[in-house]
Formats: sequence, C-alpha cells, structure tokens
Amino acid sequence: MSSNNESIGKTLSVVVALCLVCAIIVSFASVQLRPLQQANKTQDIQKNILAAAGIDVSGSVSETFKAKIETRLVNMETGESQTGEAVQAKIDAFDFEKSKFDQKISFALKAEGIKDIAGIQRMTHESPAYISKKADGSTDAIILPIQGYGLWGIMYGFLALESDGETIKDINFYKHGETPGLGGEIQNPQWTAKWGGKELPIDVVKSGAKNDHQIDGLSGATLTSNGVDHTVDFWTGENGFGPFLARVREGALK
Amino acid sequence: MADTKEMKSVLFGPVLANNPIALQVLGICSALAVTSSLKNALIMSIALTLVTAFSSFFISIIRNQIPSSVRIIVQMTIIASLVIVVDQVLQAFSYATAKELSVFVGLIITNCIVMGRAEAYAMKSPPVMSFLDGIGNGLGYSVVLLTVGFIRELFGKGSLFGVEIIPLVQDGGWYQPMGLLILPPSAFFIIGLFIWVLRTYKKDQVEAKG
Repeated sequence: MSSNNESIGKTLSVVVALCLVCAIIVSFASVQLRPLQQANKTQDIQKNILAAAGIDVSGSVSETFKAKIETRLVNMETGESQTGEAVQAKIDAFDFEKSKFDQKISFALKAEGIKDIAGIQRMTHESPAYISKKADGSTDAIILPIQGYGLWGIMYGFLALESDGETIKDINFYKHGETPGLGGEIQNPQWTAKWGGKELPIDVVKSGAKNDHQIDGLSGATLTSNGVDHTVDFWTGENGFGPFLARVREGALK
Repeated sequence: MADTKEMKSVLFGPVLANNPIALQVLGICSALAVTSSLKNALIMSIALTLVTAFSSFFISIIRNQIPSSVRIIVQMTIIASLVIVVDQVLQAFSYATAKELSVFVGLIITNCIVMGRAEAYAMKSPPVMSFLDGIGNGLGYSVVLLTVGFIRELFGKGSLFGVEIIPLVQDGGWYQPMGLLILPPSAFFIIGLFIWVLRTYKKDQVEAKG
C-alpha cells in the first residue's frame, strides 16, 4: 500500500465512492425485486388461508384463492362485515404483523381496559376474515386470522371454523418462533388434526381431552400450548371475532 | 498469474486441511442455527460461499486504493451490500427458505469467515486468487454444515431434504427421533466429533502440548 492512500482527501474520496456504488447496487436490487417479494408474501398468506380452509391447491394459488375465498372486512366491535370494492383497498393494505402498529387504524388493549390474554398489546379496529364458499355459493368455512404470544414470540396463524361458527375445522400457524421439535410442533399436521370437530370455547389441557371442548396440549411445550389456548380464546371471544361470530350464528352470511 | 498448483491448494486447502470451522473455529454460530435441516444448510452454504467469494474478489480489486485506517469499514460495507443483495434475491425467488433462514442470512455479515478471509487474504492477494480463496473457504464451511445438517435431519427428523428416509414412530414407523438433534446444542457435539475425526486422520492439526 502506498503512503498517499492515507491522506484525508484520499480516505474521504474512497469512502464516498464506495458508499455510492454500494448504495446504488443495494437500492437497485431492492427496487427491482420488491414486486416479486410482495407477491411471494401475499401468496404465502393466501396459501395458508387455503390450507386452513382445507382446500387443495392445484395450479395457481392466487387463482384458487380468488375463486374460492371471499374476503370480508370485519368491524371488531360491532361484528358487522363488508365485502367488495368499497373495502378492497383496506384489505389489500392490511398486514397481519404491521397494521396493529398503525395508530390510525388500531388501539392499545390496555387503554381500552381490555384484558390482553393473548399478549398482543395492540389490535386493529377492523380485521379481514375469510369465507370459503361451496360450489353452490353457501359458506363452507370461516377463516379467522389469529395471533398471540407463545413462549418466545408472537405466533401468527389462521383458525378455520365450520359455517355454524362453533365447530372448529382446522388451525394453522404459519409464522412463529417456538422451539423446533417442542413448541414448533404447533405446525405438525398430527397435532392440528386434533382440532377438527372440536367446539368453541376451546381449552387446551395437559393430557386426556375428555370432551369436544378440550384438546391435548403438546408435551414438553406447556407454555406454547397455553399461548395457543389464550390466542384462540381471545380471538373467538368478545374482544376478538366474538361479535362477528355471533352474527354468523344468527345467519348473517347466509 | 499464479500457477495451477497454487490455485488448487487455495481452492481445496480449506476443505479439510485448513477448514475454517474445524481448524480455525470460525463461523460456529450459524453452523449451530441453520443445520437442523439439510436444505437450509445447503442454501446457507451457497449463500455464504457466494458472499465470501465475491467480497474477497471486490476487496482484492480495490485493495491498493483502500486507506488502511478505514479498511475494516470498507470491507464491512462491501460484505454488507452483498449480503443484502443475497437476502433480497432469496426473498424474491425462494421465499419459503428465506422465511426459515430469516435472520441468519443477515448474520452472514458478522460471520467471521467472510471478514477473516477479506482481512487475511484478499487484502494481500490478486482478485482471481482471492475469489478462489473465498470459494475454497465457502466449501470448507459447506462441508461441515452439510455433514452436520445430514446427521441432524436424518436422526432428528428421519428425513433428508424433507423426504422421509426412516419411518417415524409418530407416523406408524419404528424410529423414535432424537429430539436433542433438532435443538441447536446438538450441532456442538457433532462439530466436536467432526474435529476429533479430522484430527485423528490429519495428525498435524493437533496442537503441540504446551
């Protein structure tokens, strides 16, 4: 290395030039790839919704989703729900991880005096819910987005209910940080299969589920099991989708 | 231009003789975290090899222009940019894997192998040799990662690349998986055993008893 490399002018010019080049490369990659990444993310969510609804995806995920699933925007307080053009923009902009931090459309549970059993701290005033349709247009399943604190962090998933709004069809967690092999088993199809046919309200118990309201927890993952229990309780309860489900039971979707 | 013999030793030396994980004990953290399945180990290996090779290459190109007072920062900037690009590409083309590797791709930036090769080799050597050195060290890292990933997935989950090899008890088979192998600490044991085997075979790697 020659000594003139060490002058302040040279140091500054090398650093500035390098930063410029790197910044251009990074922003180029980011901007060019963003549409693909966004599409991947949307598709991943749609895939999980379809999986929760028990629909086999053959061919394009987004096509199947469009054909089989109706997205409704639910007002969490009143339980009223809307679909169609008017709310599509809001639904498209909704993000299960980020929207609850948007001050304009969300609130802190504590400030409203709501008991935060799922450990989510904030929630949105409105949330999408997904209705899968049978061939004749009647409701097949209601898929609710749920989230709650497990052992290590927030678990994100979908809870699918039969059209009666009482019976569970499936549960599916698509993002979580639970211990692989222990709490991570919430993704295991063998465990989620136990949920089918059970009825709300659900209680995740240690072992030996006795009736239709109880589900065996995961062995070695008591805290994760509790987290799932609280998450489901919260989102199907009065502060979650309770009002919406009440309307469903009265036949609002028919 | 260096002769082929030297190129060969730069490229294949780090695989067994001078393995970055087994001998230099660099880059252990990611070796623990991403080896619970073979697929993740493979993607991580490819990502790290590419980043090491290209960062060494670019650093070597401008090595005569880098003022030594800011050389580490310059190296980091180049490495970080490459890692971000790799991460973005993964998110765009292999979303499921990117989701599973999550933070560990970003952590390639802090992987001691990348930094170590940039500082120890690329700053003093011509670009092509530095590139080969990067590939070589990436291969060395990959060998260990894939070995660990192979053992952990096969005996921890009974599968390889997600394909069932040994039928598990819970699926009606006979094999009771070893839960420990799915957890990160098991990689310590496997890497330890790997180093043991390697040093039994290559005695010159054993430190002289002081």
